[in-house]
Amino acid sequence: MRANRIIIHVLAIGLAALVLAPFLWLVRMSFQTNADIFAFPPHLWFSPTWANYAALWQSEFRDSFVNSAVVTTSSTLLSMLVGVPAAYALSRMRSRSNALSLWIIASRLAPPTAFAIPYFLAYRDLHLLDTRLGLVVIYLTFNISLVIWLMRSFFENTPRALEEAAWIDGAGFWRALVSVVLPTAAPGLAATAILCFVFSWNDFFFALILTRSNAMTAPVAVVNFMNYAGWEWGRIAAGGTMVMLPVLVFSLFVRRFLINGLTAGAVKG
Amino acid sequence: MSLVLRFAAPRAAAAASQARQRRRFLTWCLAPSLAVLFVITLAPMVYLVVVSFTPLNLTNPATAWRFDQPLLNYRLLLSDERFLNSLWVQAKLSFWTVGLQLAIGVGFALLLNLRSGLLRALRTVFLVPMVLPPIVVAIIWKVLYTPDISPVYWTFKALGLSLPALITDPNWALPAIIAADTWEWFPLTMLMVLAALQTVPEELADAARVDGANSWQTTAHVLLPYIRGTLMVAGLFRLIDSIKAFPLIYLLTDGGPGSVTEVTNYYAFEQAFNFSYLGFSSAITVVLVAATLLLSWVVVHMTGWGAAE
Repeated sequence: MRANRIIIHVLAIGLAALVLAPFLWLVRMSFQTNADIFAFPPHLWFSPTWANYAALWQSEFRDSFVNSAVVTTSSTLLSMLVGVPAAYALSRMRSRSNALSLWIIASRLAPPTAFAIPYFLAYRDLHLLDTRLGLVVIYLTFNISLVIWLMRSFFENTPRALEEAAWIDGAGFWRALVSVVLPTAAPGLAATAILCFVFSWNDFFFALILTRSNAMTAPVAVVNFMNYAGWEWGRIAAGGTMVMLPVLVFSLFVRRFLINGLTAGAVKG
Repeated sequence: MSLVLRFAAPRAAAAASQARQRRRFLTWCLAPSLAVLFVITLAPMVYLVVVSFTPLNLTNPATAWRFDQPLLNYRLLLSDERFLNSLWVQAKLSFWTVGLQLAIGVGFALLLNLRSGLLRALRTVFLVPMVLPPIVVAIIWKVLYTPDISPVYWTFKALGLSLPALITDPNWALPAIIAADTWEWFPLTMLMVLAALQTVPEELADAARVDGANSWQTTAHVLLPYIRGTLMVAGLFRLIDSIKAFPLIYLLTDGGPGSVTEVTNYYAFEQAFNFSYLGFSSAITVVLVAATLLLSWVVVHMTGWGAAE
């Protein structure tokens, strides 16, 4: 039994290393010169360089990074603002419509062209192509659904006695929601906001279709460089590393809620 | 009697009025979301269906808003070999990715289902592939599949073996995508199964063991049946998500070589945004949305999302 446990632990570490290796390889590449990257046999030891990152930060990549940050943050805040009261209402209503549930979940899971085509056509007429606002709006399509699903289950777990006590003390419904219910659901609010941030930040498809240059986000910028800048692998790796850094950091904060978020609340991980 | 009534009536009236106000308040909480969702999801979906009835081609303005042959796109679909091929590619991709992710996920979860601090910490490591931006996952695998810079190819070379150029070989391109997708998403099924396994009451497994079942039998007849709900939901989610496969295919193979990795979603993207046939692409997309709705309906019913509690 004891030996078994040791074997399982060794296996687990081995598997984890195997799963992590491709990711670490990219990070390693981002600190290498092109000569090191193409060397065969590969150099186990190399002198790491920041040159790839420095070159990136001098280029338009910086603007696309800012675009990503602005669009993602705005969309997250807006969807929380609209979605949180709705989630609260749904958690306190006795009857629920099946059709509404289906609609919310389906709009979260719809294939990307389902929204890309109508939005592309509408944005051409509304002059919203290649604007940050355009991206913020299309990210709401999946973010609001996500907020409603996740926050509803958080609100269902906050005791109703608290808000009822607040009403008896003469607080209005809004005040009870803002100063009693929301503080109790604070961890849920934080986790939900972070997940919205992560999903918007990770988007590639909508940004690819709806932006050209002005509003281009970081994930699209990295890919563009593959096509236009020749095969500058060091810079591509540095760009990829920078794109994933915020998401990795945030994800670690919410790892308890991740499964829940990825399955729109179907499973509590 | 009359005394009680006299006191109770105003109180009941007050309570009724409060309940009414509360209902109104909840309606106001819900209304903005419904209005926004209507404008940003329902209206575009209707627009999509409308466009699918037209021959809209962006390079030819005369094709907009023409409804003389509303079902033409759908008829063309039935005889479009590239579309039919894309369905087959999609079926293969979905079958293998969902199957492998479930198999590997369950396998690893059973292996790691021990109460131990180290394993708990390692779970965070397994989160990494699925939280990475999908496009970064695609870059990582592009590196692994590019012979000049790939550690995988170096390893084979060092062993004196040669590996075909996976993503440009018609026989290997789809398996290469499947491998990358499996790496990205098996952690999700694994973590879902692990979470479910920890809810299995210990007496259940103990009872099976007392009855003389070995650990394989316990797993097959006690553990797996107990978590089959989770397995179904995990499988359905991965299935729905596999219909959306995009960044890996875009970056690794661009649907090729030929059209061996051209899934339906990718074909819709090409028709719309490479060839400008938005009407035709909308028809393809409507088919995909219908499939998604159907699968979502199954999920909603299985998880009891719609049910009143």
